[in-house]
Amino acid sequence: MYEEPYRWVEAVGNRRQYLDEQFTKGAPVVALAYADGILMLTVSRGTPKLYEIYDRIALGGMGHPADLEKLRFSLLEMAHVEGFNRSPSDVTGARLMKYGLAPTIKQAFEEIYKAPFIAKILLAELGVKSERDLFLTINYDGTFEESRRWAALSATTSVQARVGAYFESQPGFAQASLGQAVEIALCAWAVGSLAQVSPAATEGESLSAPASATQPDQAIAVPPDKAVLLGHVRQTVQEKSLECILLERNGPGSSKYRALRPDELGALLPSAVNGPKAT
Amino acid sequence: MGMQGDFFQLLKEQGYQFGNPVAGATGMDIPNATTILALKYRDGVLVAGDRRATAGNMVMYDRTDKVLEIDRHSVLAIAGVPATAYEMVRVLEHSFKYYRRTQLQELSFEGKLRAVSKLLKENVPAALAGTGAVVPVFAGYDHEQGSAKIYFYDILGAEFEAVEYAVSGSGSPTIRGILHYVNTWGPQPLATLSEEEATVQALRLLTSAAEFDSATGGVNRELNLYPVVKLITSAGVQTIAGDRLKRMYEAEVLQGM
Repeated sequence: MYEEPYRWVEAVGNRRQYLDEQFTKGAPVVALAYADGILMLTVSRGTPKLYEIYDRIALGGMGHPADLEKLRFSLLEMAHVEGFNRSPSDVTGARLMKYGLAPTIKQAFEEIYKAPFIAKILLAELGVKSERDLFLTINYDGTFEESRRWAALSATTSVQARVGAYFESQPGFAQASLGQAVEIALCAWAVGSLAQVSPAATEGESLSAPASATQPDQAIAVPPDKAVLLGHVRQTVQEKSLECILLERNGPGSSKYRALRPDELGALLPSAVNGPKAT
Repeated sequence: MGMQGDFFQLLKEQGYQFGNPVAGATGMDIPNATTILALKYRDGVLVAGDRRATAGNMVMYDRTDKVLEIDRHSVLAIAGVPATAYEMVRVLEHSFKYYRRTQLQELSFEGKLRAVSKLLKENVPAALAGTGAVVPVFAGYDHEQGSAKIYFYDILGAEFEAVEYAVSGSGSPTIRGILHYVNTWGPQPLATLSEEEATVQALRLLTSAAEFDSATGGVNRELNLYPVVKLITSAGVQTIAGDRLKRMYEAEVLQGM
């Protein structure tokens, strides 16, 4: 029945709708370049969502854990075989994305008799110099994008736009300290998370602002204030845990990836999230 | 399907070959002489090696690094055919990283030891053919036991744990005797030496080895070339800077000569 072009287009359309629904409950992932490297942050329950891929490359994922795991393994295999046979400097995020992830994900998406990958992936690559830091994000259909200063994964393009607007409204975070970077990442994450949970946002392109906002049209221009955002984070971390990893330019050895331990992260959190240690 | 997280297996599936004997190599001068040593001191393990690479009578290179970090907590000091030794280190380095990244936990200390002897076993044909013998010393920090350890190997891959020290290479017979003497009848056992004292001992030992073994480099003051000395403690692997070695050498090694 899919032989006719129309049917095929329709099937792909259905697939998009199905996949879009799969991501509405997922936690956004945000990443940014700060003074000493790259920081990636999300919130998870149980299974981690942030991983080490190679010496200077980290992965953040949204979607089904089994699919993410499969894609993660294929990236690890590709990166390590390449790094061993050529050299670690030849393992780049761009090549992993273009020749590793994108073809696999696109093929799975378009083979309508088979299950697609329920996965969106963010690769962060730490450059030797900060100008060379790179972020690559790929959607479930295999389309990917490159960016320089920040990147995010979220349920829909409208949510994505809001997270982007938030990042752009923060001046000069490239020079931020680790503590400041954590705060910016938390707020950006909260912008995305709030946008996803507010019912209007999940309907796709209708842009109404979450929580306190007033005019739907101004939603992107006026993100909620910091107290609201950090309050949302505080509420979320009561039942889920924060996950935060770094790629540190001046870290020891060749592997620059480091996951922040809960106590380290706790010490860096703004007091609005940490609050008095009651429980 | 093989073992989970086994990088060497993955390489082999892709056609990678390791330890193949090369025919017709008899009579060739293959670089293989050196002196490496590892000893336990107060805070952990010290590993040191001279920097000369020779082929027969010829000095090939005077800046070789034979004490190689495999990861933040382990070191392989190599004596034998450098080509094979460097390749082993590359395989090990990638294997440990691949395991950690796929399995989301560090390979255990036991696992790392197994990986070293497995590679040596794979290398037996090349070792026996005379083209790839490697006799390494592995030292690392075992987090489960809370102590730094030393292991040495024969060319067939048998693994032995060194209680106090281990040596390898052409200059090793000289310093093995000295180590035994110093450790047994010296002013204090090696295991109680401070970082500074242990480093001075290592410099003296390598200087002695160079005295009697032409294939060991020792110290070359004109060119400011000092042995490679690394310390392994619970904090990880740390390399002693050339300036510091220079100061110690001038104060504690030259002075007695």
